Amino acid sequence: MKIAVMSCIHGNYEALNAVLSDIDRQQAEKIFCLGDLVGYGPQPNAVVEMIRSLDIPTVQGCWDEDIVEGLNACECSYPSILAEKRGKRAHEWTNDRIHPEVREYLAQLPLSLREENLCFVHGSPHNQHEYLMPEVNAFTALERVMATGADVLFCGHTHIPYVRTLDAGQLAVKVRQPEGSSTKQFTAPLKQIINAGSVGEPRHGRPNATYVIYDTDDRLTTLREVKYDYQLTCQAIIDNGLPAIFAWRLAQGLEYAERAEDPTHVCER
Amino acid sequence: MWAIASGIEGNLAAYEAVVADLRKSRQEVENFYLLGDTIGPKVESNQLIKRIQQPRKGEPTPLVCQGWWEEQILILHALGRTGSPTELIDRYGIDMTKTLWDAIDSTTLEWVRTLEFEFVELDCFLIHGSSLSVSDELTPSIDPIHAIDRLSRMDVNQLFCGRSGLAFEYRIESGSLNSQVQTLDNLTAPTPTILSNRRIIGVGSVGRVEGKASYTLYHPESNKLAFKTVRYGTKKGFG
Ligand SMILES: [Zn+2]
Ligand SMILES: [Zn+2]
Repeated sequence: MKIAVMSCIHGNYEALNAVLSDIDRQQAEKIFCLGDLVGYGPQPNAVVEMIRSLDIPTVQGCWDEDIVEGLNACECSYPSILAEKRGKRAHEWTNDRIHPEVREYLAQLPLSLREENLCFVHGSPHNQHEYLMPEVNAFTALERVMATGADVLFCGHTHIPYVRTLDAGQLAVKVRQPEGSSTKQFTAPLKQIINAGSVGEPRHGRPNATYVIYDTDDRLTTLREVKYDYQLTCQAIIDNGLPAIFAWRLAQGLEYAERAEDPTHVCER
Repeated sequence: MWAIASGIEGNLAAYEAVVADLRKSRQEVENFYLLGDTIGPKVESNQLIKRIQQPRKGEPTPLVCQGWWEEQILILHALGRTGSPTELIDRYGIDMTKTLWDAIDSTTLEWVRTLEFEFVELDCFLIHGSSLSVSDELTPSIDPIHAIDRLSRMDVNQLFCGRSGLAFEYRIESGSLNSQVQTLDNLTAPTPTILSNRRIIGVGSVGRVEGKASYTLYHPESNKLAFKTVRYGTKKGFG
């Protein structure tokens, strides 16, 4: 069975529409969404209404959580003061415009979904705010998959799609206790992390929307990149009084300048 | 040489037995760590803390960090990292909130407030639970991938902990894992990540088992570990 997995729509209705049409063309039978339906973009309500009307199983993203709970993450969520200011403005804008039933919907979203040997989360199984970058230590990455009990972990949040295959894992452990010692060998089965990229706020260097198609029969992943008229969204960002930098960033397909120093840092607040 | 102990739980006799054992060993103890649960839900804890703060001549001054019981008393006084004592009540029932509250006097509470959460020294991380939380109980049967995660969260080779109360050395002798990343523009060749010789050390428990205190010695120069058990009488004299 072919499934489509998408993430980080961020209030970009044009991009969502384009991706949904592409999913149709790919003949995926089921769609999963990894959250961040709102934030940054100009059409948060329309995006949520679309996801709801299609009954797409969805997990809660970091932005969805912040809209429901209020911003209470520490500064660690932002790589710089400037990024924090922009983030806060986008948060306030979204918070002011979101419909009550949309907020209710975002509030009840689960943190993870499970379908057979597949698990779906926004950031990582431990935290919606954790960035599972492709260069994270391989054993750390493996721990994140194993923590779910699944074979394939779908995540988003970094806005750059990738497939990471972890294979041929071997470990030799020696346990010594006062009453004796023992040696154990472990082999780790093949596991995958599949990052779905971002529909509405891509950061892979081009403005196109990204998502993934996964075939559960042959376990093959296709990273999809979909062209759409991003200028429409850019215009709407500016017309709605959102920070113009978001339009610029969307047109470039780039994260604006900074990166968090320690992407695996997890906010404990 | 370092001496590392945990879980005195207000057991003064057990602590005296460990200190006497260290004195007897005639080796210089550079660092003497107490990895939490120094107090327990009993009045004797206050006496123990006084004793710990006033080492006698020739005794090392302990470096003490917070444990689970310290965290619980802080939570009861609204000084903890989390708000409500749910974990305490789940484990010991509602009456324990009063028992613990009544047991720990204000001087001890003030002392608890000054404690560190953990110590980092050389390539060692010393903590009550783990790099994840004070309640995280690492045991000899932990999954190796989780063990590596706890070690790499702090980027150390050795993690000393006391939560389980068990004395053990859990050594990842060797490990390798291949990783291959496909992006929109690139497919990397499978790259191995190799690791070796990392370990988690359970330092035992001083006060949990009546009459039997266990702790750990560590020699940083040689990397050698020794688990020590001291038997002591719970009643002195023939009385
Ligand atoms: Zn996002
Ligand atoms: Zn996110």
